[in-house]
Amino acid sequence: MSYYLGLAQLIGIHTLLGLSAYVLMLTGQLSLGQAGFFAIGAYCAGILTVIFELHIVPALLIAALLAAFFAFLVGFPALRVKGLMLVVATIAFGEFVRLFFFNLSWRVPRDGIHVGPDSTNGFREIRYFVANGWSAWEITLFVWTFVLLVMAALWWTDRSRAGAVLRAVGEDELAAQSVGLSLTTVKVTAMTAGGFIAGVGGALYAHTATYVDHLTFTVLLATFAISYPILGGLSSVFGTLVAVIFIQGVLVEGLRFMGDWRSIVFGLLIVVAMNLKPSGLFDARTARLLRRAVGLRGGEKSRA
Amino acid sequence: MSKFKLATIVTALAVAASILALGQPAAAADRTVKIAGWGAKSGPLRSFGVNSEAVLKAAVKSINDSGGVKLGDGTMAKMEFTYYDSACNADQAISVVRKVESQTEALIGIGPTCSGAAAAMYGIFQKKVDDAADTGLQFPILTDTAIRPGLAKKSQWTFRNVPNEITMYDEMFKWLRGRYPDVKTIYGGTETDQAHSRITFAAVIVPMAKKHGFEWVGGGIKEVTGKVAGGMKQVLEVSKSSNWLLADTSFSVQARAFKRSGADMMIVSSHPFTTCGMLKEMRRQRIKPKVLVGLTSSSSAETLKGCGAAAEGMYIPTGFAPITEAAAKVAAAAEANGGAADLHSAAAWENAHIIKQVVEATGVMAKPDTLKADRRKVRDGLEALAKVDGLMGEIGRVQDEGESIKPYVFVQGQSNAWKVVHDPR
Repeated sequence: MSYYLGLAQLIGIHTLLGLSAYVLMLTGQLSLGQAGFFAIGAYCAGILTVIFELHIVPALLIAALLAAFFAFLVGFPALRVKGLMLVVATIAFGEFVRLFFFNLSWRVPRDGIHVGPDSTNGFREIRYFVANGWSAWEITLFVWTFVLLVMAALWWTDRSRAGAVLRAVGEDELAAQSVGLSLTTVKVTAMTAGGFIAGVGGALYAHTATYVDHLTFTVLLATFAISYPILGGLSSVFGTLVAVIFIQGVLVEGLRFMGDWRSIVFGLLIVVAMNLKPSGLFDARTARLLRRAVGLRGGEKSRA
Repeated sequence: MSKFKLATIVTALAVAASILALGQPAAAADRTVKIAGWGAKSGPLRSFGVNSEAVLKAAVKSINDSGGVKLGDGTMAKMEFTYYDSACNADQAISVVRKVESQTEALIGIGPTCSGAAAAMYGIFQKKVDDAADTGLQFPILTDTAIRPGLAKKSQWTFRNVPNEITMYDEMFKWLRGRYPDVKTIYGGTETDQAHSRITFAAVIVPMAKKHGFEWVGGGIKEVTGKVAGGMKQVLEVSKSSNWLLADTSFSVQARAFKRSGADMMIVSSHPFTTCGMLKEMRRQRIKPKVLVGLTSSSSAETLKGCGAAAEGMYIPTGFAPITEAAAKVAAAAEANGGAADLHSAAAWENAHIIKQVVEATGVMAKPDTLKADRRKVRDGLEALAKVDGLMGEIGRVQDEGESIKPYVFVQGQSNAWKVVHDPR
């Protein structure tokens, strides 16, 4: 059972990573810096529970706020660029963060050993969960509490005026500006919210994996972050969840039995999925069909 | 057929296949000794996993051909293994070990390839046996490849059978001191984003060279024998213009720094992929040190395939060379299975035989209802081992740390092969 629970934890954490990119993509921004915010959350929360021996909840919230703060700072210069330029700028930020942690060494003695980030050796002993007797069920429940909270918040936002504002900016910046929307406020807010969510994900990741190093937060992770909402579709938050289950559950884990062929089939299935469902695995049409299937009336029209 | 239906069918098939794969039920109650291996079979370090699997396959076959494993009730059981791809990735290594522990009847795991993945994976294990407050995984591991110093002591469930680099380089520089009395100065570089390369370079190779009287060009390193981190910092500081990263493809600046140093002895501390890039660039710039030293992980077939000519003359200490009858047999068997035996993968052979020895010594029953107790017996048996027979001779065990003390030799690149030039066994 611990395998399925571990997988559920991983899916939950990657869902948060994907949702952090989803918020930004609603405003038409594509960021490859999410791995950087994820790293800030991971290292900060790890430092707080390991070195300062804080409880996981405040540690996680402080880490997420710190990641959000950096996202806020990144948000302003990011306003000056868009499209591929923003991608390049955010890659640079992600690499900056990664290399910062690559060089960070801050170790303190604890119970006869030294703990804390140790440069290229990575950050070991982030064992809050297992050292405090948390079962795999409890850890999974804890992770998914945050996933569901974030999903609920985004789902609610999407149905509120705030969601309409985000999508308006994403659809047409000029039109949005002409009706009085402040692009600066909207984009920086989305960037900050994305940073917060990535920070939560990173904090949870560090504590479920018990170890992080700079190689965890490469451009590959950032690519996964934007792949989830792209593959899942932007019509709802559930698209990202569906994409994470598809990639992490089906492709990465489910195809492991294929050995050497796994990587090839992995890529092939992504291409097939994107061709069959160009608007995302969970596009508006799928959502409508599902609503119909479960007997819900009044399916909304496509917003994809 | 509409696109939606087609998509639904494709998705359903993929999900069904994955569920089948994910939920492999525990096999029927046959009496086999099951072990699981995992490592990098995809990504840039793929060859490491391929080699380990090839050697493990040969080891299991040899055990079964000689009758199998004797269980606690006297039954002779066959040994079975399954090998998983965990790439060089912490998430995947954790996922695989959880899967093996909870979804299979494997008594023990052998893996992973990368030290970073091992460091992460070891972290989810119970630290101290019988600590009820620690809910970490309780499953024995005997790692064959991940070599970064000091990892196994993270948990009492984790063991390794990897060479001790500190001893090997200490002895090699002592030997080189005697062999090359005119060599005074050293210079070198490492791939700084790979912990094993970097730490071994800064905390093992350079300090050991200094210990035996070799001086860094310009004397920039004052003290490296005290606090490890302090020494490492100094070494990395003086070598900053000659270091590189795993993904680098251009080494002209680093090679130029090597050339400018004019050192008698040069050190290339990296894995085969960038070692070859650096050595080829050194050759292009006609850099010919009196002595060339490499990282243990580069004493492999990959280096010879990639840059055999450029590696001519390079000295490396290694825990494996086909110089005994048993080692030669393993090298041939690995080749027959599509892999190569080297200091990393050859340990998989030893591990399979260590497991056989432990299973027979501890009375493992290999029944589904004794799985948990059997795993504990295997762990206890591994901890109790003081020494075992290896391919190159006797392997000592550092019992409280779960580590090994393996015999070693010094090899040199000669005519596109690793030739043993000194055998201190």
